[in-house]
Amino acid sequence: MFQFYQKESFFDEMFVGEDESVFPHYQGLRERLGRLDDAEISEKQRRVDTSFLEQGVTFTVYGDDRGTERIFPFDLIPRIIPDTEWRTIEQGLTQRIIALNLFLHDIYHDERIIKEGIVPEEVVKSAAHYRPEMRGVDVPKDIYIHICGTDLIRDAEGRYLVLEDNGRCPSGVSYLLENREAMKRAFPRLYRDYGVRPVDHYPELLLKTLRHLSPRPGQAPVCVLLTPGVYNSAYFEHTFLARKMGIEIVEGRDLIVLDGFVYMRTTRGLVQVDVIYRRLDDDFLDPVVFRDDSMLGVPGIMDAYLKGNVALANAVGTGVADDKVTYAYVPEMIRFYLDQDPILENVPTYLAWRDEDRQYMLENFPKLVVKAANESGGYGMLMGPTSTAAEREDFAAKIRQTPRNFIAQPVVSLSRHPTICGDNRIEGRHVDLRPFILYGEDIEIIPGGLTRVALRKGSLVVNSSQGGGSKDTWVLYH
Amino acid sequence: MRLRVHHRTEYRYPEPVSDSVNELRLYPPDTRWQKRQYAFVSVLPASRLRHYEDLNQNRTHWFEIARPHQRLVIESRAEVVTRQKVNFSAFPYGFHHDDLPRCRFREECYPFLQESAYVERTPEIWRRALDIRGGSTDVFQTSYAIMEHIYREFRYQSGATTVATRAGEVIEKRTGVCQDFAHAMVAFCRAIGIPARYVSGYFFDATRDHHLRGSEASHAWVEVYLESFGWIGLDPTNNKVVDETYLVVATGRDYREVAPVAGTYYGAGGSLMEVSVSVRRLPDGPVNGGEKDVRDLPGETVAVGKEQEPSVVSIQSVQ
Amino acid sequence: MLSRVADSLYWLSRYLERAENLARMVDVCRYDALDAVLGDSGETWRPILYAMCSEEAYQVARRSRSEELDVGRFITFADENPDCIRHCIAHARENARMVRDQISEEMWLELNSIHLFLQSGEAEDLWRRQPEALYREVIKFRLLFEGLIDATIPHDEGWNFIKVGKYLERADKTSRILDTLTYGDEPERGRLASAMRSCSGFSAFRGEYRGEISLRNVVGFLLFSPSFPRSVRFCVREVDRVLHAISGMPSGAFSNEAERLTGSMLAQMNFSSVENVWSVGLHRYIDGLQAQLNQIGQKVFETYVLLPSEIRNVARPEVWQIAWQQSQQQQQ
Repeated sequence: MFQFYQKESFFDEMFVGEDESVFPHYQGLRERLGRLDDAEISEKQRRVDTSFLEQGVTFTVYGDDRGTERIFPFDLIPRIIPDTEWRTIEQGLTQRIIALNLFLHDIYHDERIIKEGIVPEEVVKSAAHYRPEMRGVDVPKDIYIHICGTDLIRDAEGRYLVLEDNGRCPSGVSYLLENREAMKRAFPRLYRDYGVRPVDHYPELLLKTLRHLSPRPGQAPVCVLLTPGVYNSAYFEHTFLARKMGIEIVEGRDLIVLDGFVYMRTTRGLVQVDVIYRRLDDDFLDPVVFRDDSMLGVPGIMDAYLKGNVALANAVGTGVADDKVTYAYVPEMIRFYLDQDPILENVPTYLAWRDEDRQYMLENFPKLVVKAANESGGYGMLMGPTSTAAEREDFAAKIRQTPRNFIAQPVVSLSRHPTICGDNRIEGRHVDLRPFILYGEDIEIIPGGLTRVALRKGSLVVNSSQGGGSKDTWVLYH
Repeated sequence: MRLRVHHRTEYRYPEPVSDSVNELRLYPPDTRWQKRQYAFVSVLPASRLRHYEDLNQNRTHWFEIARPHQRLVIESRAEVVTRQKVNFSAFPYGFHHDDLPRCRFREECYPFLQESAYVERTPEIWRRALDIRGGSTDVFQTSYAIMEHIYREFRYQSGATTVATRAGEVIEKRTGVCQDFAHAMVAFCRAIGIPARYVSGYFFDATRDHHLRGSEASHAWVEVYLESFGWIGLDPTNNKVVDETYLVVATGRDYREVAPVAGTYYGAGGSLMEVSVSVRRLPDGPVNGGEKDVRDLPGETVAVGKEQEPSVVSIQSVQ
Repeated sequence: MLSRVADSLYWLSRYLERAENLARMVDVCRYDALDAVLGDSGETWRPILYAMCSEEAYQVARRSRSEELDVGRFITFADENPDCIRHCIAHARENARMVRDQISEEMWLELNSIHLFLQSGEAEDLWRRQPEALYREVIKFRLLFEGLIDATIPHDEGWNFIKVGKYLERADKTSRILDTLTYGDEPERGRLASAMRSCSGFSAFRGEYRGEISLRNVVGFLLFSPSFPRSVRFCVREVDRVLHAISGMPSGAFSNEAERLTGSMLAQMNFSSVENVWSVGLHRYIDGLQAQLNQIGQKVFETYVLLPSEIRNVARPEVWQIAWQQSQQQQQ
């Protein structure tokens, strides 16, 4: 199976050195794959794909008028993380989400981190997702980011680095859960023998996280999931989670605000809602306060929220922490609020609004990945090494015009993982990892996360909308 | 045993207060018996946190909030892997009362034989301690007897004492909570020359019916010094020799030196305090950094120094 | 149950019923066209376009295309026809997608696979080669789906809304099929038989009416048969029963406009005969029925989805406490 495998100069998740030796935790997998022939692999792959399509495990591609659904391509070779490695990740992410929450609380209250000169005021206030409406507001249980998806990558030495924090509406957890189901069916014995930590309790933990926020303690809280609707690319995930949690999935038009309380319309009349897991960005949440052209939101919901009559997860205004300029300051936040060094480091980041950094960016495009500060999903990005002169010109102009909106990072040669490519050949493809963090009464991180893989040869872009696929991620007990 | 702790303390002030300065002892140390996986201490309103190691080597965080505020939340989250300290089929007998005078000159014991803020030395306490000791010549046996005595003869009742109640009063009333029981035991031990220190921490109630006392708040117990064994923990509140379900956060001569939260602020009194502690047991896995690290850690050392100046303490949590 | 969910289940059901009826009608029509005098086949299709109110859409679509547009294709596949079978199934699937958490996995899989099939070139190929096989496919799917509705989801409120949708749509379609008979000249035996076959009612009809096939008998049967599951009366009776099941009202009483209208329509159907139809004229009578059915649909929507009176009540604080208490209990 691996006879043509080229490790090249990247950090490989499976292969240790130039010879064919693998890390100990990959030994069992390698033996199992070695016993498979082409036909068996094709058959397993076909079964998995069919089951995904039939179950509707799909995402919608934006900009496609027919609303075509695609399955998020799934690769049969799992990514395996030994326990000790995972512990470090878990600790680092816990530390990070505590710091990010303190930061959000701070910038909407006393602004001590600004006053002490750690984070410049203009970085915070000019962030596209900074919400002045949230100043002085005490959010339920003082938690801002209840659900966080933090993207990790590994550099050439195999160190885990944080690439970005997704503290608004991170998606992908349903693929994580479905991938696990698929793998259990495809390789039942291998899975059992490996001692993999389960992930299927995620919906339970998520529900617990939501219920923790209820403004009516002592009563069974009514939690709902607010979706932008069936045409949203993550709609499958929304129904999936709502079903697993046993809560209603609602659209904006299902909710109505009366006298500062939120109700949902049911066939038995109106029911008061306590907690809303909203998969809708701040901008669309309330047409009265934010975008008045939003048809997806609920007029008056901010009023109910600010009065403390309903809880939102995530809180309003968390987008500041997602901002790629803010990202650069997270290590400083950890030192400031927690009096510790970061356990997981950032990818080195150049900020275009710093004069010297901008100069460097403009002169070194081919070495850099340039990103728009407020975009996600791989949109608004320039891959320096493969960019055309025209693209570079375009970005240079944009950067000069609005330096605040751009950052750059050196091209980190993401680690690679053996992946089944055309003709059942196994080749190395770049991967990242998105673990999901839940911050409720406890901070819980589901073991593993979504491993995304850039299926195009040489590509570093793993987003589903840009030709990425995914793998199951196995965190081992040992 | 892998234990995860979440300790949250919230103060609410009826009127805004300001110039709050606080010290926190919430950071579990690495010792031969426990390995910290992580510990995060945080404060709301979000503030800059700093730390130093105090005289007893406890990591002490401190912060200040100058601006008026009506609420203060202090949280610590930690995951610690603990290891069984005592072989329960072979208790550390063999250290005799006659050998105790040797301890008096050991640096690590000296402070724990003296009077301290909550622990007096009085003839009454001394006489009672001798009664409990009876004919025992073994230090561990005597310590165990003291623990049992307190557990049996003292009534566990919250509200009967305050955070400021001293050992003498507890012994007289025979009533209190874990803080009081620990002070009483420390006083008895010291009275008859057994080095004893006050320990603040948490424990996981592994009993099926969760009948142990003090698991819902931060807990306190006692450690006595046995030559050639070191400090061994005894919990008079639950009549237990401390095992791997216990997690040490700080040690000192008495509560004053280990108070999880202590500080001052400017403003009217009458604050409301709410404490919640949860200790969960997680599936055992390898210890981060490898199992070896726990064993290879150097033994505990306790530095001795000048007695700390008592400060104005207006924020304290009862243990 | 979320109002929108009830609404989606209702429409899911309506669209599927619509697709099935269209498939039956087209299949019968296509078969009849084989018998028609050469060059006259267009005439055979007229009534069905008339019944669907899509005559105009068809003409527009035909003019905009370069190649000849077959009526069968128009009703089955044409993008210009918002009510073609393919679209009905797609709409049904969209509604199902919105309530995927409320329907069974099997229901979703079946509906999704027929949808994917109809979207694929495969379906059109099959249709070109063997049109009846395609229609059979759709009808078979629908029957299977009916079975799944009854066998794989709880017979609770949502299920009742599915039934409301089905029977309202069916009553409407049966009345439209009858309406085709009012098109043009007095229908001859062939057209009467087609109408019957479109409703799969031939054998049932023979059983009930032994005698010869006549307009009078066909109308009597399709409007008033108490036992034939596609007669308008039967459908209205089911709607009435299911609406009472939803509200918990005893039959005969009513708690909202939808129930009142249905009850009154049912009474009217129970005590009418073909004579009453003849006295107003078949076409006018059917127009009246369709208006009533539309009104019932509208009132169901207002009562369970729009909730105007609920919202007025809640806005008064002393009342919303009570309203809330009631709705809380429902959560159990």
